[in-house]
Amino acid sequence: MNLKEWIFTTDHKRVGILYLIGSLAAFAVAGIMALLMRAELSTIGPTITANPTNYNVWLYTHGAVMILGFQIPALTGFFANFCIPLMIGAKDVAFPRVNALSVWLFYVGVILALMTFFIPDPPDIMWTGYPPYSTITTGNTAMYSFTVLILGFASIIGGVNFLTTVAYMRAPGITLNKLNIFVWCTLGAFVLQLIFVPVLGTAVSLISMDKYLGTNFFDPAKGGDVLTYQNLFWFYSHPAVYVIFLPFIGVVFEVISSHARSAVFNYKMVVYGGIGGIVLLAGEVWVHHLYVSGMADWLRIGQMVTTLMISIPVGLMMISLVGTLYKSSIAFTTPMLYALGVVFLFLIGGLTGIPLAVPSLTLAVSDTYYVVGHFHYVMAVAGTFSIFAGIYHWFPKFSGRMYNEFWGKVGFWLTFIGSNVVFWTMMDIGVEGMPRRYYDYAHFPQFESAHQLMTAGAVVLGVGFAIAVLNWIIGAIKGPLAGDNPWGSPSLEWTTVSPPPHGNWPTPPSVADDWHPYAYKKG
Amino acid sequence: MAYDAHHAEGHAHAHWDTSVWPFVISFGILFLAVAFSLHFVYHSSFAAILSLGLAFPMIIAGVAGWTSEAMGKGEGLSFGAMGWFILAEAMIFISFFVAYWYTKLHVEVWPPAGNIELPKVMPLVMTFVLVASSLTIHYAEHLLHLGNKAGFRTWYLLTMVLGAIFLGMSIYEWSHLIGAGFTISTNAFSTIFFSVTGLHGSHVVVGLAIFMAGLPSVLRGTDIDEGFMRTAGLYWHFVDIIWFFVVSQIYYW
Amino acid sequence: MHKQQVKGTIRRTLTAVCGSMLAASSWAAGVAQSAVPKINDPARGWDSLWHEVIVDITIIGILFAVVTAWFVFSSRRTADNQVGASPKLTAASAVGWTVLPIFIFLSIDLYTAANGWVLWNHYRDVPADRLEVKLESGMYSWDYTYPNGVRTQNELIVPAGKPVLLRMTSRDTLHSHYIPDFRVKEDSMPGRVTYLWFYPTKPGEHLVTCAEYCGVMHSYMAGRVIVKSADEYAAWMKQEETQLAAANAPAEAGTPAAKPAAKPKKT
Ligand code: HEA
Ligand code: HEA
Ligand code: CUA
Ligand SMILES: [Cu+2]
Repeated sequence: MNLKEWIFTTDHKRVGILYLIGSLAAFAVAGIMALLMRAELSTIGPTITANPTNYNVWLYTHGAVMILGFQIPALTGFFANFCIPLMIGAKDVAFPRVNALSVWLFYVGVILALMTFFIPDPPDIMWTGYPPYSTITTGNTAMYSFTVLILGFASIIGGVNFLTTVAYMRAPGITLNKLNIFVWCTLGAFVLQLIFVPVLGTAVSLISMDKYLGTNFFDPAKGGDVLTYQNLFWFYSHPAVYVIFLPFIGVVFEVISSHARSAVFNYKMVVYGGIGGIVLLAGEVWVHHLYVSGMADWLRIGQMVTTLMISIPVGLMMISLVGTLYKSSIAFTTPMLYALGVVFLFLIGGLTGIPLAVPSLTLAVSDTYYVVGHFHYVMAVAGTFSIFAGIYHWFPKFSGRMYNEFWGKVGFWLTFIGSNVVFWTMMDIGVEGMPRRYYDYAHFPQFESAHQLMTAGAVVLGVGFAIAVLNWIIGAIKGPLAGDNPWGSPSLEWTTVSPPPHGNWPTPPSVADDWHPYAYKKG
Repeated sequence: MAYDAHHAEGHAHAHWDTSVWPFVISFGILFLAVAFSLHFVYHSSFAAILSLGLAFPMIIAGVAGWTSEAMGKGEGLSFGAMGWFILAEAMIFISFFVAYWYTKLHVEVWPPAGNIELPKVMPLVMTFVLVASSLTIHYAEHLLHLGNKAGFRTWYLLTMVLGAIFLGMSIYEWSHLIGAGFTISTNAFSTIFFSVTGLHGSHVVVGLAIFMAGLPSVLRGTDIDEGFMRTAGLYWHFVDIIWFFVVSQIYYW
Repeated sequence: MHKQQVKGTIRRTLTAVCGSMLAASSWAAGVAQSAVPKINDPARGWDSLWHEVIVDITIIGILFAVVTAWFVFSSRRTADNQVGASPKLTAASAVGWTVLPIFIFLSIDLYTAANGWVLWNHYRDVPADRLEVKLESGMYSWDYTYPNGVRTQNELIVPAGKPVLLRMTSRDTLHSHYIPDFRVKEDSMPGRVTYLWFYPTKPGEHLVTCAEYCGVMHSYMAGRVIVKSADEYAAWMKQEETQLAAANAPAEAGTPAAKPAAKPKKT
């Protein structure tokens, strides 16, 4: 293996693998931060550190790295890179060098985020970075701003690249109604990224400008307004959850359809109603993160309605997922287990968002562990399970080898049980009043046993994830050869060899009239 | 099986495309970020300068290497891509304007204390210059399309000169205002004023840099990449249009 | 002044516009807004609406989960080369499968929104007969000022049976005054004044805790709401007033006590 051809590669599959390695490393570090936090919370009072700032820095790193360094890059970096050109029959992306720039900027961003452990005064401003704290803390706010700016820029150029690729480089015969759902989902996510990441970039630049360059965006004494930041931040960061959701549910569609050998139920409803609806609504609901921030009443009421309406496109996608299973032919492989897990557990996460969408209910549970439970169900559970489902599903394609089915299932069941123990308990104590971002819960002694239960659950969960990662590492090195199409899927990526060569196909593919990525044939 | 044919163990495989420049630029940017922290957070300017000493050569070498490697080999997709990129860029300006409106409309007194009267004539002249440059680049492209390379070169250079004049006037105005005691930290309005005009100015600089990148081929008069020129022109029009918002919102409202 | 009024009108109009979108379904929510001023305790409203919404989402969740489980159970692959046998949708049924769910989901959403809006009004319309206290939060304490100038720190002492309105601001970072027992919180921040109200009915003590990350000691920023019977409250207040008068007497020049001096704490 030629290392130089890997590091300086411009090939979309290798860029994708670089994304995969980087984002899994980020996941491992952020996961270890979670375990440190859980250890700290296992007793009242100081447990493993007597300095609350340590806890706050772990929490900051955990949140920022999980979202910006793990899920968004894994989904819009690895999966998009590896799958999209193969799914549309292209030999590469439109701008291979831009693609390489995007992956290395991603590494630079993650390096900046992880420098947290080596610099004096690391950032302790949480992944939301609200001023005035972020502009008066002794922590290094600039590190946060640059991390976000660089990862954001990487994402924007990635988005431009893929939108152009899908627009102009589809193989002959692949019309818009024959794109994989995953491709549609990812395009939706990239449109959201292009529109909203610049807003986030602006928001995080403003706090560093206020702190280091003497501007007054958020200083009321000079005519500024602290709420400006929160609006800008959530104007991006709410759509960001759909930047995560769309590709991950796209992965779930691919996995379920392939392993159930059943066409996606009501394809056009998913594309136009589901994805279209989410892209249209994503930008009109950010105020639901500011229900307790003292926003104007009409905004809070108006966005209650739009937030609740998000359940419509998401619900359509759920109907399609369930419908795909009807009279199908299900093989209970590891990727399928993870994908089915998503169907069940995303229901919990999504539906617990409904009470949060109602401002009068949120007044009691906002900023408690109820919210933490909600978003771990949708992201840490549904999101991570989808990513794992996808990695297992395309593992034979990108590595050419097969993972171990037994250990795959062991990993799945450990994570399934662990997740529910940890995150269900979170929602439970949240409703009872446990606030989030607490280093110590001295005045909530009644929650100590619940916290201990969660710590134990987190260990089980972590072991489950680690087994999966080890399974991939070992499988990639010495698993049995997988063959070109182990799942029997008609989708284009399975028509080339595993792993695909540079250029993907010896001769560019073209598809027949009756071809569809979900037209399963007997035999 | 096809697999063995292509990938037998240890077998010399086909060549995979590579480019070192994206890697070099990325790490250049890392040193840029580190330099900012070193100077502003840890107050260690010497280390910051060292870091910048790594950052700038890497970024410049990266961009230069990239341009010479890729120029003229595009597949004509950059025009469409630029449209998406402009969408993202526009959102940055929109964010600043939203921050501006949000701040302005929520307070009783505006502008806040410490403001001074902004000039009213200069911005009009600047608008005129920028609009003119948009027209010149449009005409230049038209000539290029007709195959008139000499004419193209003249109007292309004229565009660059107009852009430079615009920048000069911006700098003059800034230094004038700063001299009068109106700086970025005076109050919330001055903050908005300098950041929005500065942001726009930096886009003018980027626009000019793109024209610079195309300059060698324009001067040579050979391998002029028409797709590249159209893309550069599109960006320039965008910079021009944004200026209308800047001028109307910041100076006259 | 004038600008203020105009803005107030705009704000009210917009609230009304958004609200009227819900008005139709607010009828379905079975709510008659009575003209007689009575106290709608939001904490009770919260408990019943929370319960209702949780039941609703549980039903939806179980419905989806049961159907999924049934399809999964009945569709296990039996032969290696088997493929799914689901019927192809006709154009009409494809549209039906889209439009029908949209209407069902939309009506659930609007019904929830209408209920939420009613409760919201209870949270925002403060009864006229109330105790109004100013709150300034800071790293890391809650400083209350009563209408007569009495100040307390981290202890909000209120009479039972009277709604309490807090007008809040902050002298440094964001904080959020969270009283779990009264199901209410709202952020306080520099440069703006926010408010919340609650309705203590019987004597007792309630935890106040900070729910917005505000700095290193965020998790230790706690206080108490102490509800006393009306008589006890009056006695306490009288004592505080005399103390305040005594403290102010020497400094007659007019400078009010600069900081809430460490008050003698009583329980
Ligand atoms: C992938 C990530 C993801 C996803 C998909 C979602 C999805 C949703 N989220 Fe979540 N959310 C987060 C990640 C995510 N969220 C994060 C990270 C935070 C906290 C950030 C922080 O503060 O640090 C957060 C916080 C958050 C809040 C703010 C809470 C607070 O801070 O006070 C709210 C409030 O409205 C909310 C609501 C919702 C809603 C309504 C949905 C909806 O999209 C869910 C829709 C899905 C369903 C409803 C289920 C399926 C549908 C059906 C079965 C159809 C039938 C159902 C009905 C008709 C009801 N979320
Ligand atoms: C995608 C996002 C994501 C994911 C996956 C997770 C995963 C987990 N999270 Fe986290 N979390 C957030 C996003 C996420 N979280 C966010 C955004 C916040 C809010 C931040 C803020 O408030 O600002 C938060 C906050 C948060 C809190 C709240 C703290 C507080 O408010 O005080 C807690 C508390 O328990 C927690 C716990 C956990 C746990 C136990 C996991 C577990 O699932 C993690 C388990 C994983 C591992 C243990 C790693 C496994 C190991 C490997 C893969 C390595 C294997 C390698 C080899 C073998 C070589 N998280
Ligand atoms: Cu005050 Cu948190
Ligand atoms: Cu949201």
